[in-house]
Amino acid sequence: MLSPLLSLAFKIKHGLIFIEKIVAASSLLLLLLLAIIQIIARNFFDTGFSEMAVISRHLILFIIFMGAALVSEQNRHIKIDILTAFLSPQQQEKLIRPLLLLSALVSAIFAWYAGVFWLDEWHYAPINERWSVYLALILPIGFFILALHLFLLTITNFEHELVAIDKSIDKSQPSCSDIR
Amino acid sequence: MIIFIIALLLLLAIIGTPLFAVLGAGGLIASHSADLNPSILIIELYRLASQPNLIAIPLFTFAGVTLASGDGTKRLIKLFNALLGWMPGGLAIVTIVSCSVFTAFTGASGVTIIALGALLYPMLEHAHYRQRFCLGLLTTSGSLGLLFPPSMAILLYGIVSGVSIDELFLSGMLPGILLLIMLSIFSVYSAPKLQAATQEFSWQRLFITLRESIWDIMLPVLIFLGIFGGFVTISEVAALTATYVLFVETVISKKIKLLKDLPHILIDTTTLVGSILIILGVAMGLTNLLIDSQLPMKLLAVVEQHIDSQLQFLLLLNLFLLIVGAMMDIFSAIVVVVPLIIPLALRYNVDPVHLGIIFLANLEIGYMTPPVGINLFIASQRFKQPILKLFHSTFPFLMIMLIWLLLITYIPFLTTWWQ
Repeated sequence: MLSPLLSLAFKIKHGLIFIEKIVAASSLLLLLLLAIIQIIARNFFDTGFSEMAVISRHLILFIIFMGAALVSEQNRHIKIDILTAFLSPQQQEKLIRPLLLLSALVSAIFAWYAGVFWLDEWHYAPINERWSVYLALILPIGFFILALHLFLLTITNFEHELVAIDKSIDKSQPSCSDIR
Repeated sequence: MIIFIIALLLLLAIIGTPLFAVLGAGGLIASHSADLNPSILIIELYRLASQPNLIAIPLFTFAGVTLASGDGTKRLIKLFNALLGWMPGGLAIVTIVSCSVFTAFTGASGVTIIALGALLYPMLEHAHYRQRFCLGLLTTSGSLGLLFPPSMAILLYGIVSGVSIDELFLSGMLPGILLLIMLSIFSVYSAPKLQAATQEFSWQRLFITLRESIWDIMLPVLIFLGIFGGFVTISEVAALTATYVLFVETVISKKIKLLKDLPHILIDTTTLVGSILIILGVAMGLTNLLIDSQLPMKLLAVVEQHIDSQLQFLLLLNLFLLIVGAMMDIFSAIVVVVPLIIPLALRYNVDPVHLGIIFLANLEIGYMTPPVGINLFIASQRFKQPILKLFHSTFPFLMIMLIWLLLITYIPFLTTWWQ
């Protein structure tokens, strides 16, 4: 049986994955739609929408952060793990959590400075451009979500590995593959 | 102290810390050492998002993932087989051409070996190609096509280096085709020894497959016209390509169901893009700090003491990049290494476009270079063969690719003919 704390961590993580997927998929779809609208507007109506270009630029950031958070769940971040091949599975297992925690810490520091940057942007932005500064909130929020996801992974570990270790895992708890 | 920190970061990288975290930590330390507010790292990330060509990366990736999820690859293989399958080594050539087209769309993320390997490996075995040849060919084919539009590696190189993406695509065409020809000649030459079976040419079969794949054939035409015709920007070509592929796979071939499959395709795309661009995002600040600290200039001073000519420099560059390519993923290598070597290359009068093609060619080879070339591991898993057998199988292909590398390095005309 899972401890209440671990169970809570799983629930938060699954909720986070759900949100990340919704935001990631809709951002990409919207990016494609806006690009098509811009092409039609420019070529058929000889016009364009500067606001759409601003939104598209921010959608890229939404995609990057949500994609990066989801990749953490799949343990598919790009690595140069040359030394890992020479370690035993037990040694590799011992390394996973500290490295996840370190990545979470780096992301959290970035989230903090992104917040500082965002406050500056908001402070100095002209009133008519404030709307685009609100979109830039994805910078601190994105890094925060990434940090939170990595931190939750530090607690829960990758689920397929956990299932392999503990067959008695609560079946009512949805697994990541179920969510996917 | 600085040396200790760099050594620590390198150690963290080689024991498997996600690269974005290593580079991010490096950026934080570098900004702290330079008495700068780390918010400048975020400014660089925000500046990256405003690059107009960046939008092309998720959209082309979406097209690639959609293509991989649909039936387009099967139709193209059937067409190439009808067109080239009659030749000695015909099926091997079909493999080379199909894989390079597929990789150009999907990036060399291993998906070519996984997706096309499953289709082509049994076909090659059925045609009596020897197992060693099949394994070598499919492992090599996993990274072919990186120089063809709309390769994500070229897009990323253009964004990081500031070199025109159109010019990079144009420059990559001839070297890319040359490699396909060299590998095809090797396959034709090997076929008699392998007693590989060929099929008879049939106009009827060609006509049927042509009719089935007419929508797929139009795709490269659309991309080439878009990029080189000057009608639309790279981002717009990417949007049109993504829409076209989605239309073909959902409406024409009906392989992809909008409600059932599209969410998965969108999420797969974002994870692929996210894993690459988060590195670029956090590394932009670090590389700028390194440039501000005159690191490339210091590097240049050291190199200039030992290297006198462009010829020597290119040889050293190739050796260095082959090692980088064997150890690092192509996208992280572009982000980390390109800003540092561009000033060196300019000092030795290497054309930036030529440098780009040399850079990508080296990394293309790095995918299959022992001991850590990622394609070897993917192929080992996919075909359930030991790594040593794959080293052995890919060796003749690796030699051909090294000859090709020397040709494109020392004959700049192959990349700069259009200038």
